[in-house]
Parts: sequence; C-alpha cells; structure tokens
Amino acid sequence: MKRIPLFLFVCLLVSSCNKDSETEVYVPVPIQVEWPENFPEMAYNLDNNPLTEAGFELGKDLFYEGKLSSNGAIACAFCHEQAFAFTHHGHNLSHGVNGGVGFRNAQPIQNMAYQTSFMWNGSASHLDLQPIIPITSEIEMGETLSNIIQKLSADSEYQEKFDRAFDDGEVSTENMLKALSQFMVMMVSSNSKYDKYVRQEDNVTLSTIELDGLNTFQQKCTSCHATDLFTDQTFRNNGLPVNPLLNDTGRYEILEDPNDLYKFKVPSLRNVAVSGPYMHDGRFATLEVVLDFYDAGAVDNGNVDPLLLREDNTYGITLNDYEKESLIAFLKTLTDNEFLEDERFAEY
Amino acid sequence: MKLLKYTFAFLACAAITSCSSDDDNSDSNDLTGQTGEVTLKFDNGVGDQDFIFGTTYNKSNSESFQLETLKYIISNVAFTDSEGNTFMYPTEDNVFIVDEADGNNAGEIYITLNDLDAADYVSVSFGVGIDQDRFALGADGQGDFLDEASDEGMMWSWASGYKFIKLDGTFSTSTLTDEPLNVHMGSVGTALDNYREVTLAFPNTVLVRDDASPEVHIKADIAKVFDGSTTANFADGYDQVHTDVNETPIIADNINTMFSVHHVHND
Repeated sequence: MKRIPLFLFVCLLVSSCNKDSETEVYVPVPIQVEWPENFPEMAYNLDNNPLTEAGFELGKDLFYEGKLSSNGAIACAFCHEQAFAFTHHGHNLSHGVNGGVGFRNAQPIQNMAYQTSFMWNGSASHLDLQPIIPITSEIEMGETLSNIIQKLSADSEYQEKFDRAFDDGEVSTENMLKALSQFMVMMVSSNSKYDKYVRQEDNVTLSTIELDGLNTFQQKCTSCHATDLFTDQTFRNNGLPVNPLLNDTGRYEILEDPNDLYKFKVPSLRNVAVSGPYMHDGRFATLEVVLDFYDAGAVDNGNVDPLLLREDNTYGITLNDYEKESLIAFLKTLTDNEFLEDERFAEY
Repeated sequence: MKLLKYTFAFLACAAITSCSSDDDNSDSNDLTGQTGEVTLKFDNGVGDQDFIFGTTYNKSNSESFQLETLKYIISNVAFTDSEGNTFMYPTEDNVFIVDEADGNNAGEIYITLNDLDAADYVSVSFGVGIDQDRFALGADGQGDFLDEASDEGMMWSWASGYKFIKLDGTFSTSTLTDEPLNVHMGSVGTALDNYREVTLAFPNTVLVRDDASPEVHIKADIAKVFDGSTTANFADGYDQVHTDVNETPIIADNINTMFSVHHVHND
C-alpha cells in the first residue's frame, strides 16, 4: 500500500515546489572534479555521490572538525596538513587522542579519486568508508560514528549545512562520509613543474639535471611508480629491514596470505619532496636516505619483490651518486605549489 | 538532479492514473495494490538443542565450544511467488543484524518486512553479509546501517569492511581447555568476496494479504558453522578466523548450509 501514497506525495511535492520557488530555496550548485589529461581514469564513482558546492564545503568543515574525535581535538587535519601534501610533517608515526601513537606514517591526501585502495596495506577499498578506520581507531580519533552524528545533530550550523548539501538533508553517517569524500575527491594535485612540462604548458622546460633524473627514473623506478600518479597501486615488499618494535606485516594483515608478508602499497611520489618522512613507518627523514636504502640497504626479509633482485643475488636498485642527485632534482619537479597553497582546501 | 526528480515525479503521477484504470477490470480475488507484512523469526540452535549463551556444545572431532556473542548480517531478502515472480525488498532497508542477545524468551529474533506485494509466496532467499554491489556504493544508500554495524561491532576498525558473522567465546579440544574462540568472517574489500546467498522453499505457501501477516520460522544451526559442508576443526586454526584467504570462504560456505525453514504461520 505504501507505493501509491508515496507517489501521491511526490505529485503533491511537485505542485508545492512551484510555490516554494517564489520564496528563496537553496539550489545545489554542481561542481566538477579535474581529470588532468596525463592522469589515468578516475576510480571513484561520482554517480553515487554527485559533487556540489555545499557538499564540498561541508566535507571541508568536517575535515577540520575536532568533534570527529572523542576528545574534540583531533580533526582529520591533525595528521593531514596541507602544506605537507596533507601529511603529518616531521612525525614518523601518526598521533591521536590521549597521546596515542599509531603504527604507520600518515599518507598524503591527494588524487584520491584516482586511487583503487587506501591505507598502506590497502585495508580500505572504498574512499567513502576509509575515514571509519581513523575515526574508530582507539589510538587515532577514538570516536564512534553514532556519537559523532549525535554531536553534529545538536549543532544548528551543521543541521543547516547538511540540509543544503544533501537531498534528504539528514545529519547521518552516510551524508557525513559522502561529504568527506566530496572534499577529498576534489583534492587533485596535477600542476607541478613536471605536469606542465609533460602537458607542454606555459613553455615549461626541465633543466639538464632534472631531465637526467627523469631518464633514470624511467629506467629504474617506473615499473612500480607507474603512470603520472606515480604508483601502479599494487602492494610490494621493497626489502626494508623489519622493525621488531612494530613487526608490521603490512598487506599480510588483510588476507593473512604469507605471500603478502611485509608488502605495502606503492606510494605516489607527487609532492614527495614536502611529504617526508618516508616509508610506511617514516623511518627515513630525507630522500637521500631513501635512495641510499634502495642502492645498498635492502635486505632479504624472505619475500622481497623479485623486480629488486640483482645479478649478484642481493636486493636493491643500483644508483651512482649522480643518478641519486639527478633523481632528487627530478622528484622535486613533482612538487605542486598550486595544490599546497590552494585556498579551496585550506582551513582558514 | 532536480530535473530528473521532476521527471520521475511526473512519471509516477502518470503511473497512478494508469494503475487506477486497471483496477476497474479487476475481480474480487485480484491482489493488485494489496500489500502485507511478513515476519522472519530467526531461531539459533545447535543440532537439536536451542542455542543458549554459555552452554557448552560438542562438535565433531571431540571438540567443544561455548559462545558469549552470536551475531550475523542478513541482507537482500527476496520472496518468490507461485508464478515465479520475485519481490525484492527495497535495497536501502534490506540489511539486518540478527543478534542472539536481542532474542525474546524463546531465543527468537524477529525481522519484520512491511509493504510486501500481496501474493502466494513459495520461497525466500537472502544473503549472509554484504554483497559487492552494496559495498561498491560506499556510503551511498547505507543510511544508518553504518552506525548500527559499527555500534554492534560488526565492522572492523582497522579496515573498512563488515564482519558478516561474529562468534566470540571459548573452545576446548582433547589437549586445550577454554581457549579463546573468535570467528569474525567477512569479505575483505573487493579482494575477497565471502558473501553467499541461500534460497529456502516454504513447506506451505506464505499468503501475504492486506489482512494477513504470516510468520516464517527460520532455524539456524550454529553447529554447521564448523561442521557444515566442510569440517573446520579448532585444532587446525579455525579457533581464530578473521580474514584468512583460505579459512574464511570455508566458514562462509558452511554458514550457507545452516538455515532451514521449520514452519510457516499464516494467520
């Protein structure tokens, strides 16, 4: 019986809408996410969560909102600062409520719409559901979804913002997660010096050493750091010595498959020069140390990626001093200041 | 978006008009337009015993277990009528947590489904857990289920995914006594799909009408979790089941064999 009254209700709505429009009614303003020509296809399905100005703005407010944590102080932005490509600059491991210290280094938030999985071990395969992990983690934000909704529902500003952002206007987990995704989907970093060079924009050229670095990069790094996202989105063991304090088994946690031991997601290298420290546990403070590790620091921890096996049966990527120097010069061309300073994503 | 909505609304209006004209030709037994409700009564047991928290149950291989938590997710409930038509309950409302702790004195957990099309239904099908299509929606259409699942402990906090079944308690074997037993089986993102569907024929037809609200008594034999199509021994590692790529599909397949319709009440 429900169907017919519902339809009738819809019919009534149609006529009443005409009346309402004489007074002021908020009309959603659709916004577009960039698809840079040098990027692969987008992974995020926008049909399920159409982007609007009000949705994006709400997502931004939530991203900077301490109420998402149990002590009211740890917003998403606490570990994800814009100036450092939304990483927790200078911290090896992420911090959380009540002085909790996490197990891994906070990853950059950029080009999320193009990623097929999230977190160092890929434990989230949908962007909408990713925030549940840090929110409910006792050592990160330590909060429950229903508590957050209670707090936000009691806030008249948020009531109004949810009302503008979503058709059903409800302050709900579904809408909160959708708004956070809208904010993150819009965070596209694609205007580095390198991007302008490959897209032949503004007559940008790379210097000799940058070009040499690009050349070395293409020879020795792109089998993993593939495409202009600079990741093939796979999970690999790069031969890092296992830290016994953490004994982080990486991707193994997900399927408990021994083949996944110590594998982590190949990170994008965009804005890498500003997003240190490096590796899943932030053990390396500089890019120089990272390259020294690939040249001479990898160990056989039992499951190292075969691509790293050298002829002398050791693991690593052989790099001479000039190759290292030029690689770093090239990696610096991936810094996208327009993104790092973009006011649309800034707290203030 | 708006335009689409209006289009839908106008179509809906048109549909009403056409529906009512159809009604003119209907005879008195026509069920068109009638709806009713059905209650699914989930009744957990172990073999021929009722399930009771804290009671020790023997399984094969001289192993035993007792539980303090017993919950599972049921979704995508659909009914098929005698003419082969399927009525799928609306997706956004079609996901439930069956928690033994919510049971009445008889240990039954009710799921009431409203506004079913009136028909003579011959079978019900449902899934245990969350299918890949629903998971791929992300937050879309999940409404309050995300909160509910999270509050009920049916979500992992270290990964974004649902636990399809949650059994917590202790087990004993010939060599071990009262060791922790935790079976938290689910799909793992898109990497491992442990969603399974089951279809159960009704022993007699379920008559849904405006004025009839049948009840379907579904038994769930928890023993089948470990002694289903495959025997899963605690001694072989099935005391701790989380996301293991080999163990979890076996538990998923076993759970799929644990449901049966015991009887139906047409009132």
